[in-house]
Amino acid sequence: MQRDTDILAPLGATNPSQQPSLSCCVPTCRSRSAAALLPEPSRHEAGAAFHLLPPRPSRSFPMRKKAARVVPEWLNSPLWSAPPQAPASPDPYGADLSPPPPPKPQPPPTPTPTVPPPSYEQAVGSSRRARGEAGWEGDGEDEDEDSGGAALRAHLLSDFKLALSKKVINMGELRRLACLGVPEGGAGVRPLVWKLLLGYLPIERAFWPHELQKKWSQYSAYIDEFLLNPSEKIRRFEETKLLRKKELNSDKIGLLPRSEVTNEEHPLSVGKSSLWNQYFQESEILEQIDRDVKRTHPEMSFFSTKTNQESLRRILIIFSKLNPSIRYVQGMNEVLAPLFYVFMNDPDPSNSASVEADTFFCFIELLSGFKNNYCKHLDDSQVGIRSTLSKLSQLLKRHDEELWRHMEITTKVYPQYYAFRWITLLLTMEFSFNVFIHIWDAILGDPEGPPETLLRICCAMLIIVRRRLLAGDFTANIQLLQHYPPTNIDHLLHIANRLRGSVAI
Amino acid sequence: MVLVLALGDLHVPHRAADLPAKFKSMLVPGKIQHIICTGNLCVKEVHDYLKSLCPDLHITRGEYDEDARYPETKTLTIGQFKLGLCHGHQVVPWGDLDSLAMLQRQLDVDILVTGHTHQFKAYKHEGGVVINPGSATGAYSSVTYDVNPSFVLMDIDGLRVVVYVYELIDGEVKVDKIDFKKTATMLHS
Repeated sequence: MQRDTDILAPLGATNPSQQPSLSCCVPTCRSRSAAALLPEPSRHEAGAAFHLLPPRPSRSFPMRKKAARVVPEWLNSPLWSAPPQAPASPDPYGADLSPPPPPKPQPPPTPTPTVPPPSYEQAVGSSRRARGEAGWEGDGEDEDEDSGGAALRAHLLSDFKLALSKKVINMGELRRLACLGVPEGGAGVRPLVWKLLLGYLPIERAFWPHELQKKWSQYSAYIDEFLLNPSEKIRRFEETKLLRKKELNSDKIGLLPRSEVTNEEHPLSVGKSSLWNQYFQESEILEQIDRDVKRTHPEMSFFSTKTNQESLRRILIIFSKLNPSIRYVQGMNEVLAPLFYVFMNDPDPSNSASVEADTFFCFIELLSGFKNNYCKHLDDSQVGIRSTLSKLSQLLKRHDEELWRHMEITTKVYPQYYAFRWITLLLTMEFSFNVFIHIWDAILGDPEGPPETLLRICCAMLIIVRRRLLAGDFTANIQLLQHYPPTNIDHLLHIANRLRGSVAI
Repeated sequence: MVLVLALGDLHVPHRAADLPAKFKSMLVPGKIQHIICTGNLCVKEVHDYLKSLCPDLHITRGEYDEDARYPETKTLTIGQFKLGLCHGHQVVPWGDLDSLAMLQRQLDVDILVTGHTHQFKAYKHEGGVVINPGSATGAYSSVTYDVNPSFVLMDIDGLRVVVYVYELIDGEVKVDKIDFKKTATMLHS
């Protein structure tokens, strides 16, 4: 079934005349799994065939014209033409990782120049070619995948820096780069990239100081307004009313003067307008926020420090007060944590004073697309979480009817059992910290917007493990999906990308 | 912002059946951090009720209390303030401010809370402040039958205390407040 001709064909079905078609946006540059370019023969499985290039030693890419380069020895080795093992069922994506997933996931081909990563090329477009060409030569003969990967990372990093250094940021460019992910060593780049992608910073660099100043002062105003407890508020109020005569009385001896309490502003009041009453009613939410902040990522020492927890707490409290319709929902701390982490680890010292304010506004931006998922009242409506889950279901149906049928009808594994956490927490609980930060690069960078991209990625997650899902029953599938196995992220994003363009139901 | 409830002289069940309903509806658990009680509850049920409002409960012995284990006086520190607690029947003449000031100097506290007279009073002298929360149930006293139920809620915030006085006058809850700061003289005393 040649539905998708541009997908990698499994090894067995090679068509030598076919272009090596790793389709767009496989982020090869990120070869932290260090590109097992030479997979050992033992790992040669039909299912993993996707990762290997068809044997074509002297391919000519339409996009690259190189001077004659020596073809490395290994490319001619016999293992590239192992006898094909016909896959059991035609796998439309060739994307199945047969369990267990190969421990050193063979990512798409990598850095050596004769096997250029066409995906990167395609993704980045023609403007890159010239630059890319010049940049790649360093690894001509070097078969060490790591250094090759490092060169690619360095290139990507420099591309990012170039894109960010312009006076007027080209958002399309930045998004393209972001979909490939900020490479390692990009700690300085990522905060800026995220701030731009979330729309926190305007495109024109010249406006940045002004905007930032505005936002920071707004944040301090929020702190003053929302974080004081009632007695402090009342004291400030009285001080502004210049009730200084009390000072004069302080040394007088005798019966203390009594003053009337107005507006039922006493701690035990049950009046609706009473500051105290509101304070106590919100205390439950405050307690919840407190508890969640203490539980955020306990394995990371970054989140155990008092100051960081305090910052997270403040941000969540202010958010809950500004948004009375959704208040605070458990799990928002998980969405906030990576933002805070990334911004705090910004090596640029000029931003360090304002990390909290930046995080706060970016958090608002990020959640704005997902707000409806958190609102209880909207649960059953057109825009609430149920409809999001059904969109996911529809997406799966469009792309993989067999899997959809198996899930929904045969095993009755409905999305609300597993995808609820995926969607509301933006995949922060499914993958390890560094991994999901990487996924977030793609989610934030995608021009379709975070909600749609997230759905696509969830669908891709399902498709990747389709073989196991098809083989499993209700319990097995639920277990699998609720403890999603570690997987190759590049692969995941690649699949997600392929689902593009058909989200609207 | 620490909320401290001060009350006493309930005399349940001998002289009064229970707290007034309006007071009871205001006193809900979860708002108050400490309760200090001058004494004369008199029975264990009242003790349990107060304990349900707030786990941190301090009581001193009044002459009609059935539990003999309460101490005669108690001192505690809340925030920047030292509070002293005593029922007051030990201080003769009852309710005399100079004698109470003497007790305050003996206990070395900033705020002394006593009862027994069933009359609210808040008095300041060089050594500190004396607060009498009155009788929370409006029970008659040895001195007078005409008693308004009252109690006191203190909001201790740093060096400043706001005392909210709750009185039930003619069936209505009336709230007043008193504001004072810990001054230099008190700091050195």
